[in-house]
Parts: sequence; C-alpha cells; structure tokens
Amino acid sequence: MKPALPPRATRGRSLKLLTCPLNGSRNISEFTYGGEYHATPNHLTTSARDWAEHVFFHDNAAGVVTEWWCHTASSFWFLAERNTITDEIIRTFKAEEIYTQRVDFSTINPESRS
Amino acid sequence: MKNRLPPPYGSLINREKMVQFEFESKAYQGFHGDSVASALTANNQTLLSRSFKYHRPRGVLTMAGQDANTMVQLPSNPNALADRELISDGLKVTGQNYSGTLEKDRGQWLGLFSRFLPVGFYYKAFFKPRGIWEKWAPLIRKKAGLGVINQQLVPDYYDKQYKFFDVVVIGGGPAGMQAALESAVPSCEVLLVDENQSLGGSLNYSRFDVEGARGKNQLDKLLNAINDKPNISVMTNAVCNGWFADNWLPIITKKRLYKVRAKQTIMCTGSLEQPAIFHNNDLPGIMMSSAAQRLVHLYGVRPGSQAVIVTGNNDGYGTALDLDDAGVKINAIVDLREDPNYDDIAKAAVDRGIRVETGTTVYAAKHKGANRVSSVDIRKIVSQGICAEQGETITCDLLCMSVGYTPTYQLACQAGGQLTYDDQSAMFSLRNCPESLQLAGSVNSLWSLDAVLMEAKRAATIATNALGLTQVQVADRVTEDTVSPNHPWPIFAHPKGKEFIDFDEDLTIADIINATADGYEHIQLVKRYSTCGMGPSQGRHSALAAARLVAAATNRTVAETGVTTARPPFSAEQLGHSAGRSFYPARRSNMHYRHIEAGAEMLQAGAWYRPAFYRSKGKDSTACIDAEVSNVRNNVGLVDVSTLGGIEVRGADASEFLNRFYTFGFLKQPVGKARYALLTNEAGVVIDDGVACRFGNNHYYVTATTGGVDRVYQNMLKWNAQWRLDVDLANVTSAYCGVNIAGPNARAVLQKVCSGVDLSSEAFPYMGVRVGNIGDIPARLIRVGFVGELGYEIHVPQQYGEALWDALMVAGNDYHIQPFGIEAQRILRLEKGHIIIGQDTDAMSNPNEVQMGWAVSQNKPFFVGGRTIAELEKKPGLRGLVGFVIDDTKAPLPRESHLVVEDQRMTGRVTSCNFSPTLGKAIGLAYVPPEKTTVGTMIEIKSTGGVRVLAKVVELPFYDPENLRQEL
Amino acid sequence: MASLDPTTGMRRSQLYRRHINNKAVFKNTGYDFVVSHYDNGNDQHTELDQARSMAICDLSTLPRTGFKGAGARSWAENQGIKIPDSANRSIVQPDGCLVATLSDQELLILSDILAKSHQVTALGEQSTNDHLENDTQTYLLPRGDSHCWLAVTGNQAAEMFSKVCGVDLRPHKFALGDIAQTSVAKTNAVVIRQDLGQILSYYILCDISAAEFLWDCLLDAMQEYAGSPVGISALEALVSA
Repeated sequence: MKPALPPRATRGRSLKLLTCPLNGSRNISEFTYGGEYHATPNHLTTSARDWAEHVFFHDNAAGVVTEWWCHTASSFWFLAERNTITDEIIRTFKAEEIYTQRVDFSTINPESRS
Repeated sequence: MKNRLPPPYGSLINREKMVQFEFESKAYQGFHGDSVASALTANNQTLLSRSFKYHRPRGVLTMAGQDANTMVQLPSNPNALADRELISDGLKVTGQNYSGTLEKDRGQWLGLFSRFLPVGFYYKAFFKPRGIWEKWAPLIRKKAGLGVINQQLVPDYYDKQYKFFDVVVIGGGPAGMQAALESAVPSCEVLLVDENQSLGGSLNYSRFDVEGARGKNQLDKLLNAINDKPNISVMTNAVCNGWFADNWLPIITKKRLYKVRAKQTIMCTGSLEQPAIFHNNDLPGIMMSSAAQRLVHLYGVRPGSQAVIVTGNNDGYGTALDLDDAGVKINAIVDLREDPNYDDIAKAAVDRGIRVETGTTVYAAKHKGANRVSSVDIRKIVSQGICAEQGETITCDLLCMSVGYTPTYQLACQAGGQLTYDDQSAMFSLRNCPESLQLAGSVNSLWSLDAVLMEAKRAATIATNALGLTQVQVADRVTEDTVSPNHPWPIFAHPKGKEFIDFDEDLTIADIINATADGYEHIQLVKRYSTCGMGPSQGRHSALAAARLVAAATNRTVAETGVTTARPPFSAEQLGHSAGRSFYPARRSNMHYRHIEAGAEMLQAGAWYRPAFYRSKGKDSTACIDAEVSNVRNNVGLVDVSTLGGIEVRGADASEFLNRFYTFGFLKQPVGKARYALLTNEAGVVIDDGVACRFGNNHYYVTATTGGVDRVYQNMLKWNAQWRLDVDLANVTSAYCGVNIAGPNARAVLQKVCSGVDLSSEAFPYMGVRVGNIGDIPARLIRVGFVGELGYEIHVPQQYGEALWDALMVAGNDYHIQPFGIEAQRILRLEKGHIIIGQDTDAMSNPNEVQMGWAVSQNKPFFVGGRTIAELEKKPGLRGLVGFVIDDTKAPLPRESHLVVEDQRMTGRVTSCNFSPTLGKAIGLAYVPPEKTTVGTMIEIKSTGGVRVLAKVVELPFYDPENLRQEL
Repeated sequence: MASLDPTTGMRRSQLYRRHINNKAVFKNTGYDFVVSHYDNGNDQHTELDQARSMAICDLSTLPRTGFKGAGARSWAENQGIKIPDSANRSIVQPDGCLVATLSDQELLILSDILAKSHQVTALGEQSTNDHLENDTQTYLLPRGDSHCWLAVTGNQAAEMFSKVCGVDLRPHKFALGDIAQTSVAKTNAVVIRQDLGQILSYYILCDISAAEFLWDCLLDAMQEYAGSPVGISALEALVSA
C-alpha cells in the first residue's frame, strides 16, 4: 500500500492555507492528506506488475499533481492540484468532477479511466 | 548615576520613579524604563558579561537586543538580554560565563590559549579516539556554558492566540509607521508590530538634520496620525519571530504567542549596524554608533566621557554631533574614506572643529589591563585592509563604530526573498519576495528619510490594491542619490589577531580564513565548521564580514558567496512559548465515573480513558486481573466497550458497499445477524476488524476498533467518493455507549432487565442482533463472543450510558456480576485465540498469515485488497501467526516483540503473551516461519533476560476449542 | 428552590458532575435535566451579567437531531422546514428551532433554548417512519447523543475563541447564522453563530466523549475575561430581554 506521505513537511508548510470546496480556506492542519490521485487500473485484467505498480509506487512527480485531501472536521474528501516544485495550490475541487457516475464491478470493470 | 543626562534626554525613562536593583551582588539605582544595560552604563558599569569561548569581557554593542554581548543571568532565566530586559525593584542580575568574579575571571586565561583552540577545534581534537568526547564534554560544557537554569522554577502561564489582519506591518520605524498609516484605508485591518518599547525606530535616536529636531517632529506627526486611525492595532515589545507559508506570523510578546494570519505583509524591519573589524574590537566601551545614540536619547545616559568615532559614512558625524551635544568630548573622527562626500550633518560636525582623520582607521584598541577600552591606535590605510606601519594613540573610553549596515533580511528570506550583494554600494539587498510581501525602509536599501517615507506609501498602496480595497496607480520604486553608507572593507587584520568577526563565538579573521584553507569554501560549510553565525545573534553582525572574507579568500564575489540560510526563530524564544497552554484531547465514556468509583486504574488508549482493571483491597494488579478473568469464566462480567467504533451504513447499496469494502461476503447476510468484518487495504494488509450487524435490508451497523474507526470511516468515504453507491455513511461511535456482558450468567442477568427481545438461545442465537430495551433505555443487542463466553454487546444512546451500567450492575448483583477492565479482556480474548489488529498484526500482515483466510470471500467481483491477496496466494507464504503454549511454569514469561529464534537466527517474534489463569500456563501468539506453523512444532523464544524458552505450537483457540460456551 | 437530582434521570449530560461540583441547581425542561443556575451565593442578575460578558452554558440535554443522505434536503423541505441556500449556514424556524446545513446532504436541527420546539422530536419520528415505508434517502443522525452542545455567550466570546480556534469568528467576519466546522482546542467541532437576544453568542457542538475536555479548555481560555459557567435561566433572560 502506498503510504499516505504528506507533502514534505516543514514548519512553514504545516501552516499553509488550503481551500476546502465545502468549508473554505483553512489552516492545513485541519486536513488529512489522502495520497496522489490516479485512476485505478482494472483489477481483473491488469497485469500483476501493473497492479503492484498501482498499489506500491508513487509517481512523486515534480510539477502539478492531483492529490486527495480530507477536511477532517467535516470528513469531506476533495481533490487539489498542487505544484510540488513551488508548493502552490492551484485549485481544489469536489470529487464528483472526476467521478461522475456510479462504478460497478459486476461485469467488466469500467473503472479504467486514465 | 553619574552618567545620567538631563531631560529632554531619556525618552523611555521616568525620572520620578527610582528603581533599586542588584548587579553582581552590588546595589544599583536606575529609573523606571531603564534596561539593565542602560542603568549599569549610567552607573559607569560597562562590563556586563563574558564571552562564550574565551571569557573575554563584554559590554554594550547594539543597545537593541540584537547581540549576545549583554547576555546576563536573572534568577528565573539565563541569557536575558541586558539591553532589552527592564530593571525592576529587587531584581538580582549577574554576568555569565566566568569563574571567580566577573571583574577577575579565572577563566580569562582561555584567551591566552586561543592559538591552541583553532577553528574546527572540536572536530579535530575530539574526533579520535572514539569516546574521548564523552570524557571532555562535561569540562568543556562547564567552561562554555550559557547561564544557569533554575530547576526549581514554577513556570508562568504562557498563552497562545490567533489574530487576523488584512495588512501586518513588521517594524515600527518611520517606514513601518508610514506604511501602516497608508494601509489603513477604510475597512482594512492593520497591525503594526515593533519589538521595542515604543514606536519610532531610528526617529527616536538618529540624527536626521543639523539641528537634531527632525526625528522627534516626524515621530510626533506619525504617532498622532496613527492614534487617529482606529483600524490600526499596535503591538510593541512584540517580536515577529518568523515568516511561514501564506503570511502566518508568530508574534511573541512577554507571555503570549500570537499566531497572526495576514493577507498582506509589509516588512519594515530596518537594518543592523555592522562592526568594524580590528584588534580588540570587542572591548567594553566599543559599540555601534547607533548604540551610543540609543543610550543618549532613549535612556539619557552618557556612554563615555572621551570618544573616538570610527566611520565609513556620514552617519558617524551625526553621532559625533549627538555626543558633542551630550557633553562627551570627541577626541577624533577616524574616517575610513580617503575623500569623504560630506552631507550637511557631516559638514556641521567638521565646522564644530572636531578633529577628523580621513583615509584612516582604528588599527587596534587597548585596555591597559582594565575591562574597558582606554585608547586606540589609529593608522593610515595603505590599501584594502592594510595599514601603515606607524600610527598614533588616541585616548578614549568610548569608541563608536559606523561603517555600514545589513538589511534585517531574515524574515524576508524566510518568505523566499533572495539576498544579493552590490559591489558598488558594498551592500546586501533583497529581491524576489512573494507577491503578498512588500518591503519598505532601510531593509529595502533606502536611507534618506524622505525616500523611506515615500517608499512606505508605495508599499502600502501595492498591498491595499492587492486586497481590492484601493485601485490606485502605483508609483515607480523610489530612487535616491545618497551615497551608500557601507564601507566595502572595514576589516583590518592584526599580527596578534583578536579582530573579532563573530562576537558570540569569539571567531576572528584567521578562523574564517583558516576554515576556507581547510577546504570549507562554501559559506554553509564555513558556518558549520567554524560555528560562525551559529551563536545567539545568528550572524546578524558577522554574516557580512564573513561573506566578504570568504569571497576574498576564494576569489569569488560576495554575491556568489552569499550568506547562510536564515531560519526561524529570528530571536531566542522562551520554551514557555512552545510549551505554554496546549491541548491534549481526552475522551470519556458516559460510564467513566462509575469505573473510578469502582476503583478502576484508568489508562489512556489514544484519547480515550479506559479502565485497565479494578483494584480491590489487598490484591496486587495481577491478582485483580486474574480474579476478573475468572469471574467472567465462572459467573458474569461487565466491560465498557463504548470506545468501540460504530458506523451506520444505510441505503439501497448498503450490502453492496460492505461487500466491496470488507473481505467477507455480505450480500446474503440475513437481517438480524452479525457477520465478522475484516478490512484490508489495497496492499492486502489487515488494517481493521469489527462486526457488521444487519438491522434492516438497507441498514447495517458496523463496529470498528477503538483506534481504527476514524481511519476506517475516512476510508469508507473516500472509496464511496469514487464508487458513488447509493449508501450513506455516518460515524456514530460517540453516539452510542456500549457494554459487553459476558459469562455463563449473562442471560440470566439480562432477563431481569431486558424487554422486547426473546433471549432464548433458539430465538436469539450466537451472532444474532436484536433491538430491545434495557429498562426504559432503547438498546441494540449483539451476541458476540470476543471473550469466548455467552455474551451480549449492548449499545445504547450515549447519555443513557451511566443508567445502563447501573441497571446491569443492580440486576447482576445476585449473579456475582463484576466489572472487568481491558487487561482482563486481553487475557480472555487471547485464551480464545482472537487477534487484536495492530498488536498481532503489523504493516505486512495479510489475512492468510493471521489464520483469517476463512474471512476472505473467494467469489465476489471486487473488494479492496482482493487482487493483491489473490496475487499473494499464488506465492508461498513468508510466515504465519500461531498460538503457542509454554509448559514450563518456571520459565520467564515472554513479552510482546520478544524474538522467536533458531540457533543465533531470529525467525519470528511474539505478538501477545500472557499467563492464562484459566489454563494455568503461559499462552501466546507469535509469527514463525511457514515450516514451524504445524501444530506440535517446538519453537524457541528469547525471553526476558535473554533466557531461551521452549514453546509448543498449538491449535487455536486455546480455550473451549469447540466454541460451546459462547453459543450457550 | 430545591434542586432536582440529575441522576434520577435516565439521560445524563456528560458534564453533570462538573455542574454538581459547581453547586448547580437543576430543573427539568420537560425533556431532561438542565442547569437552571449555579448557587454560588450570587443572585441571578449576576449570571445574566456574566452571560452578557463571558459565559459558557451546557445545553447537552436539550433536544436536537440531524438528517443526512442524498434525499435529506428535499425530504426536510417537504416537512415544511426552511433550509439555508448554502452549506454551513443556519436559519431559525418559525417555532424557534435552528436548522443548519453541514453539507449539501446533511442537516443539523437544534431546539430553541426553552425546548419549546417540538419539531425536533417530531421530525425524528417522521423520518424513521418515512424511511421504513419508502426509501427517501434520508437517514436520521443521533445528534442528541453524538455531540455535546454548549453555548458560549458574551461580548468577549470571539476574543476567547481566538485562543482555541484558528477560524476568524469575530462578529464582523462571521455573520449571524454562519457555521464553521473546524478544530476547537484540537477537537473537531461545529461552531454556529447564534446570538441570544442582543448578545454575541455561539453554539458549539463537539464529540460528546470530549465534552469534559472541551468544557475545561473553554473555561481555562475564558479565565482572563472573567468567564464562568451559567445556567440556562441566564440565557432565557438574554433571549427575553
């Protein structure tokens, strides 16, 4: 499992502001980091190697990445685009912007978006 | 107070209020508003303390709380800054870093040996042999110590508070005051912060015109205007000690840390006057020009009787005028410049007939054995840093240095600003600050008062425009034609050394040069090797000189050499500010006080208080716990399980959701039944467990572990943000109090108080769930067997918790009911072979390893962790969790994390082990290699004291293998 | 006035022992036991003055409930509830109860402090029935038990909050009816600006198991403003003033 590593924590960064789509701008200490967002591969058809890649490896990209964040007090999950070089948060948005419809696994996995 | 000047000198002191205090056990008098340093100087006591390394005598340097020269010992705290700490009646102050007396320090010989203490001494001397440092450390620490901590001290109450402002202006000098005023447009909340006792900065003490009137006039004007603006808050005696992301500013006052969030920050932090570097430049009586001016104007103290001023700019002439006005005899102005470009103030000084020597420097200071400068040797400058062979000795007891400034760049650099060096002006300047941060004043390399005020207005306009409060055309950056006040090379080496670069660490020119010669050419390495800039003043007065020296020694420019990173805090912080009022959340069940009343020893599990066991008279803890175990096995026990997690899963897709989230199958689970719920993450690792109780077609109540529920709930929500199933998830952990009533008499007790439920085994079997009432309390009942006896978990709305406890304790009276704590529960569950997630599992445990393969459904389309578990099952296992017993009752009991060994090899570890009062022997769980998992295998455990103990692998559970008792 | 014994009730505030230690006089609202006032030898005007400057009051045994789910909002509207337009806002209903939106799918409903609103209990029953009969996608939340409910009142309240909470709750930045779901003294909490009479006041709801912790933290933080606990009678007086 990819450990939920917070972005490089320094004293300065732990005092950043983050804008929750539900609750507005808050100290980042009010949030829980939820790991990088990326589409889940089809668990039935993907190779063991690709599955392991998905589970165990971070992209850890330098540049703009999309991350899961949860506002702890309201348990609200959302996504944030953040530049890992400048630590600038470009925008935050609700998960339904990406996850627009119900996901089903009963037939062939339709979840392999990328 | 023979050095006291008459009014109007002394803007900070109140001459009506006399203060008596002690320094070095001698009584002194000062005025209310005096700092320790000003009061002592007024009494002609210039020696304040001793230096860290060589115990050299030290006195006032900056008079601004920016240096380590004046660190003195107070009864309550060491390292107080004598030029910042105010005197109060009865205050007892002593110097620091001496043995014997401050005047005659027996440790002063250290200076004689300075050539044996070269740069990098500690690294070189104590590197080998191994362990030698431990031998020397106590002696060196004693010699090098900074003050004494009072261990009997009862700490004061330190507090913290958030503040919110649109604009925060840091620094209350002319630039800061003007910037605050200009920012204070309607509805804009402005904070003006200054670390000094009063606003004004240099307006309070510096000379801006020939008459010496402009500073005061400008100050009064600005103060009046600020007082008229209700939207400007002013904090004095307040240090902004750092800049953090998004303009988060820790502002420290005496007993409170303000956590200030600003939308825009304007830094008007000013500049720090720099010392000239020459032989014995650290003697008491040698100080910054600005320090002398502060003493005169702020405290009405004459800093000496005969002065020499060494200057590289016109500011030194202003100081000469100030001192001359105050009755100090100026024996000479020694101007480093060959051909000075005089302004009106300098001309006025010359016109007064003060002796001026140009192209000349102070080459060395002398002290005639006393702890104060007595004369200076001045010499013509031949070339950069080189003096003529012969000079002249001029008597003085005060030497003022005015050779240039460094912007107070620390906060701006923390914000991302970059420091550059301009060879033309011989000065550092800042650029590339973030958009929400403006600079104004001398930190922004502006020196004339008019330019400073104009630039402050400009900075404020940029800030209010950015806030959307104004839409004003921003003027171009102010330029000024004043000559730079910085002399490019006020550094003069001496054959006998002692030209101090860093006063905190007693570092000289040779130390810095030698560091580069030893190969440490990068400024960061020079710092670490030489300790330059690592002292309490953090390089405020050494960074510029060190950069110049390293640049010259390595043939680079000063800009390329740069300065070391300026990290927070800007100035020393008392531990109280970090340790002050803080929060350690504590959670209590509604039955909490019933446990206390019953003698429970409480322990904290996470934030929760839980009863470990209940103490009964005359029994030790083991006996108490064993009795609780035995009472559950033989009668009936009651345990508070309110801390257990509870999550409502409701909606048309409730069972579909659980089917995907947990490892088991839930689609066919009947209403009225509970099912074990094991949770794995995507890596197939076991991370939590509980039971899923189906109370309706579309309604499950799922329990989770005490420590895991918050994470489990967050995980559920995150998955369903992706799956978008028709299900609602609600964490109701705290909404329900719960007990587990367990033991052969459990049903009999319940029958007395429970209504609405047929409790018979046929109607309400093992793993059944029902809704009913305990007395008048609505309750959810779950028949589970964590402890391996007939038992019911009863969950009721939280505020009924205590009433539920009372009802059951009364009803159970005839059946020998007794409460039991989590220690007993741990033994009971171990006897029953139940694992505890997080204790018997680790970050690698998959279900098959922990004998939980039965709880993983093999025929569902998907569950979290499913694919990984399937992949793992294709490979041979690496280890297995097994139960073991130790038949030797005399063997020392293994503890958690004791190793399972094979010869000298560790092959596994113990996760749980206890003496089982029920079975009369030690039982436990351990990870062992796959070939050792067979029942009957003997394993060896390295137990307490390294004793090897033989244990036998057995079938789980240890107790009641047929599960008859829980299904009674 | 003889004090009722809160332990004779089945539902007991997590804080009742703290009230007893502070010489509380209890009364029954018809729903449960609440502190009427504290018998400190002061007359009740003192508690009213206290409530005007800086006070804390335990409302945990007063009725409150919550609804959650994709259908919660429209279901509640069908019950005649006025619902705020956006999340994190609250509106007082005609019968006095307060309806707060914690998200697009979650409502929190608090009775008025006189516990005269019967809507809270009525709604709870209605939702259970509706949900059992036809799937309304509306689910009852046990807010009466999951969260303790405190009122922090007085002109100094915002200043006091700035010592325990990182959100700017000053009245000109945090309007009447505004809601902050945030951390108060490192404990998750819902803070609602709900002035009582003309006096700046906030409701604060936090996990009920942390009630004593938060109570102690708030009392400690309000010490410098001479704050202290008051009974519900003082709040009633504020409202009727």
